[in-house]
Amino acid sequence: MTGRRANTDTETMSTERDATPSYELERAARSFGEGSTRVVALDAVTLTIEQGEFVAVVGPSGSGKTTLLQLLGALDRPTGGSIRFEGQPLEHLGDRSLAELRLRALGFVFQQFNLIPTLTAAENVEAGLTPLGMSAPKRRQAVDGQLAAVGLGPRALHLPGQLSGGEQQRVAIARALARAPRVVLADEPTGNLDSRNGEMVIELLARLHRELGITLVLVTHDEWIARRAGRVLRLADGRLVSGGATSLAEEVSQ
Amino acid sequence: MFYVRYMLAEVRRRRGRTALTALGLAVGVGLVVMLGALSKGLDEAQGEVLERLTGVGTDLAVSRPLAVPNDDAPGTGSADPFSGLSEEEQRQLERENGEHTAAFNYSDLGEPGERFSEVSLLSSGLSFPASAVATIGALPGAKDAAGGLTLTALRVEGVVPESGAAPLNPHGEGGFEFSETSVSGVDVRKPGLAIVTPDQVTEGSYLATARDRAMGEALVDLGYARQNGIAVGDSVKVAGAGLEVVGLTRAPLGGDGSDVYVELGRLQELSGRHGRVNGVLVRAASVDAVAGLAAEIDRQLPGAEVVTAADLVDRVGGSLDDADDLSSKLGTALAAVALAAAFLIATLLTLSSVQKRTRELGTLKALGWRQRLVVRQVTGESLVQGALGGLLGAVIGIAGATTIDAIGPTLEASVENPSSGGLGPFGQGGITAGTTDVVLGAPLDVGLLVLAIGLALAGGLLAGAAGGLRAARLHPAEALRSTE
Repeated sequence: MTGRRANTDTETMSTERDATPSYELERAARSFGEGSTRVVALDAVTLTIEQGEFVAVVGPSGSGKTTLLQLLGALDRPTGGSIRFEGQPLEHLGDRSLAELRLRALGFVFQQFNLIPTLTAAENVEAGLTPLGMSAPKRRQAVDGQLAAVGLGPRALHLPGQLSGGEQQRVAIARALARAPRVVLADEPTGNLDSRNGEMVIELLARLHRELGITLVLVTHDEWIARRAGRVLRLADGRLVSGGATSLAEEVSQ
Repeated sequence: MFYVRYMLAEVRRRRGRTALTALGLAVGVGLVVMLGALSKGLDEAQGEVLERLTGVGTDLAVSRPLAVPNDDAPGTGSADPFSGLSEEEQRQLERENGEHTAAFNYSDLGEPGERFSEVSLLSSGLSFPASAVATIGALPGAKDAAGGLTLTALRVEGVVPESGAAPLNPHGEGGFEFSETSVSGVDVRKPGLAIVTPDQVTEGSYLATARDRAMGEALVDLGYARQNGIAVGDSVKVAGAGLEVVGLTRAPLGGDGSDVYVELGRLQELSGRHGRVNGVLVRAASVDAVAGLAAEIDRQLPGAEVVTAADLVDRVGGSLDDADDLSSKLGTALAAVALAAAFLIATLLTLSSVQKRTRELGTLKALGWRQRLVVRQVTGESLVQGALGGLLGAVIGIAGATTIDAIGPTLEASVENPSSGGLGPFGQGGITAGTTDVVLGAPLDVGLLVLAIGLALAGGLLAGAAGGLRAARLHPAEALRSTE
């Protein structure tokens, strides 16, 4: 594994980073449509996620899990309330600043892996590094290091179609971590995997969280996976029903 | 560089889409190349015919028609254009013109009942002093000028009738027989601008450039030679003088082919027209100078008729004309439609590709790719496809043009007699009406191929811009929700 804080820009992104939570949501809401067709996907959610926390978000389909994750990932803006990332309000940032934030601070892992089918495993990881403007040798070194860390060094030149689901998700994790993000957001990362591969992926994410001290927010249906998290946020009908303010890992077992 | 590798990977690994887009552009561009080459071929074919019409390098032909009164403008007929000429010049013209109305004095032909043969050299137009050639040649816009003299040798044969009695039958037994031979005098110092050019010699050689030698030589039109059994090396008689036939010539289509060509000075001498010419062939300094030069000649030479090469274009008909029309009108429209269709296909395919790759592009945005990078990626891929389409289109165009060249379709060019009748463009008789075949080629040049590739790139850029715009508008969260 390459050093976690390889990028100095990431380091200086927020000088108060160590003192402030990763996320502070104050009555954050997201609705779609207007009038009679208005759908409230997320309704007045207030919560705090501390740096280095491993938080699982659980809830039935349509409860707003993915919407919450997209708001946390600066992929979308709230229609109400506020979201602060390391003290910085996201709702007022422009597209360019949000892209910059995603590039330098956030990593994504998707249920469908979302690898680029025409690029090899190594090139997929490189796709996440390229906008940083790293030199080619440094980029190659980071790619090799990340693929080795997820156990896919020998599969570097394979296309996604030539890899198993578990391998593809490990490539996606390598891509997310290659830029040394401070937060990794994983949306149902085991949803398309069998139990063996799912377990392997969760083990990997949990280990990386422990070793690198990243903030990990993981959306899942699976209560057993949620149990691995330090805290579980429960959503129902767009509302946070438990786990918003304190660590309630014990709730999972109830 | 990663971005280039990504572009090439997209183009290489999405073969179906790449092939379809490139092929769409290639067909459009190939059609443009083929039509461009065909159009050039038609221009060359028309140029070839026009060259035969106008003579090599001749831009204007100046003559002085016999008919002076202006029927179209009643009341202006009295404005005789010759009134500005010197008395001597007027006398000369009257003398020449007078020959046309000269009646035979039978007693001059011999005793009644004797056979006679009389040759007169007549001009179908009025002549200029040879100095007019130099005057025209010195006008602004004129590059060179050469004088020519074309006459009709009218031979009358028959039996001298009793004094005062008209022949019983002008063409029958006991009457007179008329035969005409057209004879042109050639300025051998300017063969390229002469009435007959070295290019027209099909057998033997052209007149000698040395006037002393040329004075004893003659060129004979191929058709006239066949009709009269004349071959190179034979002798022909012009106004009683024996001349050696040194070459046979092909009559120019639509031009003013004469039966016999002799050295200008010799014809002037034989016809008693010392220092006179009745046609001036002029080469303009440039195409742009032709119109101004024609007007200036009109002004300087009273009674002159100036015919430009462009006037003759109207007289070319036949399938060549139709094909050129087709090339310039329908061909251009076809090329434009084909290109528009190709651009549309490329644009739609690129838009469809962006649609299909919504989640991929959304992922790139999630990875922190800025708008600019995503747009550049889509546009770049489209440009690579455009370049491939351009190269493929050039190959299709070259193949098409080569096929046309190999088949060598023949087009027909025809020239009609001028409706006004009388004088031809060079003032020495009617235009040779007829048809000629021209083999159509489709010549290619580098400029056309560069244009083809440029068009394909433009198509790629257009499609890429449309796709890039669509990609730029993608909202990352929505793009990631896409199920495609």
